[in-house]
Amino acid sequence: MKMSRWALVTVALGATVGLTACGSGFSSGAKQDDSKALTVLIGSSGDAETKAVKDAVATWSKDSGIKATVKAASDLKQELAQGFSSGKPADVFYLSTDALAGYASNGSLLAYGDDLKNKDDFYPVLQKSFTYDGKFYCAPKDFSTLQLIVNTDLWSQAGLTDADIPTTWDQLDAVAQKLTTGDRKGLVMSGEYARVGAFMAEAGGNLVNDENTEATADSEANLQALQYVQKNLQAGDFAFAKDVGAGWGGEAFGKQLGAMTIEGNWITGAMQNDFPDVKYKVVPLPEGPKGKGTLQFANCWGIAADSGNTKGAQSLVEALTAKDQQLAFSKAFGVMPSIQSAAEEWKSQNAPLVPFIEAADYAKTPPTVKGGADVVTDFNSQLASLKTGDPKTLLTSTQKNLEALFK
Amino acid sequence: MANARTRLRRGEGLAGWLFTAPVIVILGLFLLVPVLMAAWVSLSDWTGRGSPFAAGVNFIGVDNYREILGGGGLAERDFGISLKNNFWYVILVVPLQTIVALGLALLVNKRVLRGRGFFRTAFYFPSVTSSVAITVLWLFLFSGSGAVNAVLSWVGINGPDWFNDPAGIFHFGATSGPSALTSGTVLGVSWWDWLGGPSVAMTAFVILAVFTTGGTFMLLFLAALQNLSGEVQEAAEMDGANAAQRFFRVTLPQLRPTLFTVITLGLIGCWQVFDQIYTGTQGQPGKTTLTPAYLSYTSAFDSNEWGRGAAIAFILFAIIIVFTLVQRWVLAERKVSRRRMRWIEDARDASARIGGTR
Amino acid sequence: MSAVIDRPGRRRGLRTRFGGGVVYLLLAALAVIYIFPFLIDVATSFKTEAEAASSPLSLIPQNWTTAAYERLFLHSDFPVWFRNTAVVTVFVTAGRVFFDSLAGYALARLRFRGRGVVFGALIAVMAVPNVVLLIPKFLVINQLGIFDSYVGLIVPLLVDAAGVFIMKNFFESIPVSVEEQARIDGAGTFRVFWSVVLPMARPALVTIIILSFQGSWNELAHFIVAAQDPQLTTLTKGVAQLASGQLSQGSQYPIKLAAGAIMTIPVAIMFFIFQRRIMNSSSGAVKE
Repeated sequence: MKMSRWALVTVALGATVGLTACGSGFSSGAKQDDSKALTVLIGSSGDAETKAVKDAVATWSKDSGIKATVKAASDLKQELAQGFSSGKPADVFYLSTDALAGYASNGSLLAYGDDLKNKDDFYPVLQKSFTYDGKFYCAPKDFSTLQLIVNTDLWSQAGLTDADIPTTWDQLDAVAQKLTTGDRKGLVMSGEYARVGAFMAEAGGNLVNDENTEATADSEANLQALQYVQKNLQAGDFAFAKDVGAGWGGEAFGKQLGAMTIEGNWITGAMQNDFPDVKYKVVPLPEGPKGKGTLQFANCWGIAADSGNTKGAQSLVEALTAKDQQLAFSKAFGVMPSIQSAAEEWKSQNAPLVPFIEAADYAKTPPTVKGGADVVTDFNSQLASLKTGDPKTLLTSTQKNLEALFK
Repeated sequence: MANARTRLRRGEGLAGWLFTAPVIVILGLFLLVPVLMAAWVSLSDWTGRGSPFAAGVNFIGVDNYREILGGGGLAERDFGISLKNNFWYVILVVPLQTIVALGLALLVNKRVLRGRGFFRTAFYFPSVTSSVAITVLWLFLFSGSGAVNAVLSWVGINGPDWFNDPAGIFHFGATSGPSALTSGTVLGVSWWDWLGGPSVAMTAFVILAVFTTGGTFMLLFLAALQNLSGEVQEAAEMDGANAAQRFFRVTLPQLRPTLFTVITLGLIGCWQVFDQIYTGTQGQPGKTTLTPAYLSYTSAFDSNEWGRGAAIAFILFAIIIVFTLVQRWVLAERKVSRRRMRWIEDARDASARIGGTR
Repeated sequence: MSAVIDRPGRRRGLRTRFGGGVVYLLLAALAVIYIFPFLIDVATSFKTEAEAASSPLSLIPQNWTTAAYERLFLHSDFPVWFRNTAVVTVFVTAGRVFFDSLAGYALARLRFRGRGVVFGALIAVMAVPNVVLLIPKFLVINQLGIFDSYVGLIVPLLVDAAGVFIMKNFFESIPVSVEEQARIDGAGTFRVFWSVVLPMARPALVTIIILSFQGSWNELAHFIVAAQDPQLTTLTKGVAQLASGQLSQGSQYPIKLAAGAIMTIPVAIMFFIFQRRIMNSSSGAVKE
């Protein structure tokens, strides 16, 4: 025991010396070299995702002869920021919709989307999400949408059948009430815009307009949606996950603290790993006053403007967004392909999850304006106390914050 | 003595500079230069790409400061909220930790106390552990179905879900205040919210701070107590003063310099809460544990508002200085200033000690 | 553990006056409050997640499991974090002992032009709150090209102003005659420092070792901004990210608490080895 401790220290000391020698100087400007090795920075959901991406990148490396390493970030946002300000960012990385504007506006990103051969194969809503200042910046990696998840055992226990699947808000009310027993709530979801926002979309609203050019937080539709959710929170048949002692909607659902939840397609992985015994079914969210509505979330493969091998990086991204590769990713960690040509095959492979991918036609996008993430955070912090708060004040202050961003 | 030294002074100049060079270089590079660089960033429109001294970065004056202190937007409100949270944290932690530390010191100061070493160890131990480990433990102890609520239930109290409860403790469950208080705002935060006190979640952090720093400051008080003159004490006893009178009239005045040190260090430390927030709540619930230090960090590293983040840090710096000066002025007494050197010595020792465990 | 707390309290309580008994009761109660959380920490780390949630107070796990530790050591980067923290702590402690005492000696004994300025600058530097440095330290580390390297993790922590003061104070408190003899015998300044003065400074050096060890082992903010490579993550940063759920979903308290317990062990050992010294260091270091 003692020996190995010392051996460890010795090895570590050696490693320090080695790493010291590697500390390279600060450089700026990017000379292009088509054979330069690439680094890929990902924000991984777990080992499965990391491994799948590593395998895919390794395959591409072998074919192209360009070396590439994949690094899973523990805090992607922070590591991206540090990378860009150090002048040596990763060449290829995950980039979320809300981070695009910030990095696009300061020139950190390479706008390569319009050069993509299969550009028009990406869902229009995704193309729009990653367009800034008229330029399509990066290839959407995959996407997710929200739908209603129903615990089938509790459903039948409450005497409900498939015919009772809610298609309107009133019906959702009714089944939630029926499913509420004792400590168990009818519907438990995370108390944040990225879930509650689905109701706003169903009422025909959203925090911003579809073009992401104008703040529409204080619209009548949004108020209607929040009032609907508030009414049900007060009645006790809806609850936010935090209020029932769960970290997120999926956890509350898995622990059967709620009979329904609103989550995205990622929930399948969590259920499989953590709550394999809970039987559930994915159904479309009920239609609101303005019909169908939900939110979509997406990441793209960002390429750094400072990359020393943008050509190689683009070729890598093309390989990673190809149909077969996307379907392989989907199998490995449950995401939905970002290209329309893969939809049919995905549907046949994932029959129970079809409602998720069908939402691509009508899903709305969270604010992508620079600083939008901070406003959403603020919105979320107020949303947590929606049960007792005043929806109107909440939306007014959010409107004010958003308007400031569009000036 | 002086003569002896003069003879030996050959080459001392060079040696002096050589000996202090590593300290000067490292502190200069990683303390002085950073401060100057941050000052520049806080006055610039640097967006976090490449060097802040690159050609495209412009001087924008005090725009970043103006945005935080009077921009009327989210930046101002976030800063206001963080200030409010940290203000209450300071107001509660500083007196409480001082009282707890003094109390513990008085308890374990008795020379005849059996198990004195054991008790001192027990009380001091929390201050040597890392703030990260303690925060993790706190998250568990104060969770909805955690140990603290289990203990509270013994006496019939239905404890809150501490780290998920954004309610201000001085709002006593009220969810909306009178319009007289909710209409006016300071830094984007209404009077009603300013007066609401720390949230339940922040209160758990207050308890954490008192728990971990009580032991550190106990040592300072202990050292001071052991240096007290026994004669004065005895004289007071002869005069028939009871224990309480002796404490308030004799002991406490003599402890003034240490008290001063403890409060100063407390103020400085409490305005910099970062580790606990980063590890525990990230400002949640409802932004009620957001602190200026954490906001400065997220503004820069998450939101890419580097200028704003640096400006927040400098405002925080100013706040700390102002608070320290006000505190000095309040506690000032002629004697104190004469003991300034003593204070500096106490301070340097203790600040080093609490370095990691604030 | 609780038996140890109770015993002295009860025994003395019977013998001494009523007041003494109250003091012991109070002390015992306080000791429980201060110690119990750590016992819970260790106990919970051996529980299953379900048990951790259902019986948060019990000190004896119903279903004894080391799953949390297995997960940490075999299926996570925890060993890497531990190694990094150990490496950084060793270098920082060694560096501070050497550089702090070197500078402390110069400020205490050597007469050189600018000594007053250096001394004043050190006091000023101590007044700068750590938090102000979070962003700019990253900028400097970045500009120097040592971002994401062990150098960037270690060098900025290599000296501390407080340590210099402690050493300066100590050197001022020891008689100058010994060094003078050595000087007259023809020893150079560094030699006098190294062979004559330093060996006498053991008590102060122990203080520096304790403070540096504890300081660098528990440091968080610097490690967050100085590196991003997972291979350079330290214990504090890794466990903080584990706790904030950036690395996993769900509560997983046994794992988090196990991580917290392990990272406390080295500081605890240090603490118990030097316990007497720590308890007296505040009075020892303040020499008037």
